[in-house]
Amino acid sequence: MKIAVAANGPDLDAEIGHRLGLSPYLIVIDLNTMDFEAVSISFDGTGAGAGIGAVAIALEKNACAILAGYVSPAIAKPLLEHNVEIFTSVSGSVRDAIEGYRKGELRNSVYVSEATGKDARRDKADMAHALKRTARQFASMLPLLVGVILLVGLFQAFISKEVLFSIFSGQPFFDTFLGASFGSISAGNPVNSYVIGDALAKLEVSPYAVTALIVTWVTVGIVQLPAEIAALGWRFALSRNLTAFILATPIAFLTVSILRILI
Amino acid sequence: MRSRPDTSAKTKRNSRNRFLRLWAFIVGVLTLYAILFSVSSARVVAALRMSEKIMLQIALPLLIAFIIMVVLNFLSGPGQIPGFLGQRKGIKGTMFSSVAGILSMGPVYAWYPLLKGLREKNVSDFHLANFLSNRAIKPFLFPVMVFYFGWTFTLILNMLILAGSLFTAKIVNIAGKRRL
Repeated sequence: MKIAVAANGPDLDAEIGHRLGLSPYLIVIDLNTMDFEAVSISFDGTGAGAGIGAVAIALEKNACAILAGYVSPAIAKPLLEHNVEIFTSVSGSVRDAIEGYRKGELRNSVYVSEATGKDARRDKADMAHALKRTARQFASMLPLLVGVILLVGLFQAFISKEVLFSIFSGQPFFDTFLGASFGSISAGNPVNSYVIGDALAKLEVSPYAVTALIVTWVTVGIVQLPAEIAALGWRFALSRNLTAFILATPIAFLTVSILRILI
Repeated sequence: MRSRPDTSAKTKRNSRNRFLRLWAFIVGVLTLYAILFSVSSARVVAALRMSEKIMLQIALPLLIAFIIMVVLNFLSGPGQIPGFLGQRKGIKGTMFSSVAGILSMGPVYAWYPLLKGLREKNVSDFHLANFLSNRAIKPFLFPVMVFYFGWTFTLILNMLILAGSLFTAKIVNIAGKRRL
């Protein structure tokens, strides 16, 4: 007995696809052996073609059920006609979804009970999914932000302007280089760079340096460089990071100059 | 039926390392506070007051950021991003990769496996680099950026980052084509 699961990755630990047809993979699992095959879904941007492609794969692989976050009525119709059960509002990992299916914890799609389907239920499920996802993203961001704010507090209480000016010399290009370098080796949510940038600006560090720091914080990733090289190759990773670092200086100068003209 | 190797192990390891680094950082900050308290308790109390002030100031912009993030997550699930990147050429392709980068959220390393897969499907380096560079534009953090630096600064900087992303993408594309 096989089931098909829309997924964002090619393995059983991947997150369930938000929407069949817009998820990059369809994983077909044999529930008896737990063997699985991850089939990549090609996109045309609208999801329509990919949705039909997913239906074709599910039918070709003899899947008797399909699991996804959401299945549109257009895609649900041919599946139901071929007696493929549809389970929607499924979230978490593919592995969890399989367990949920085995235990009978999943609920059938609205299309089974209501042939026309009701968008309201889908919207409710999507909103719950969005809230959950956002809460997770925020939860991962907040501890670091609190740590940075505590550090900024210490910085403001202990570091005098004199000390800071011995590092930032007041020469625009050198200060901008320093700001860009600090941003490049830093990682984490950009909101941290705003907090640090604001603290530096209040201590009268050059606005060019502050802007360059904010720019490189998000465009250059020295910490992530090995991962970027592994995924996209050293030529890609080095040329992208180096260009972004060099570009930070003109962006900083242009931003501050335009700002001074406008205000 | 063929089984594929578990490719998520690396992602899990990255998440675990990130979690450990995060807690090491927080423990480090708290240790620093403890050490400095023995040096100058008055300054540490002042530091805590300043931190509290920043936290209170930032609360409302963060709340607005949270709401924008929910809306973005509701309107664009992560599965839609590859569709945006696709294999389109020309201005439309560039626009789509820019929008995908701007809408993408979460840590950058979470996107590497997907980008690697897209690259193997012949999505150009230009679009991939444009996507990564445009991740610098965070619409959900605009309220926080505006709070700190004002509307004009936020607008100018993000417009320039958008333009700079195209330049970076072009350079990466040229570098990728040149064989040493």
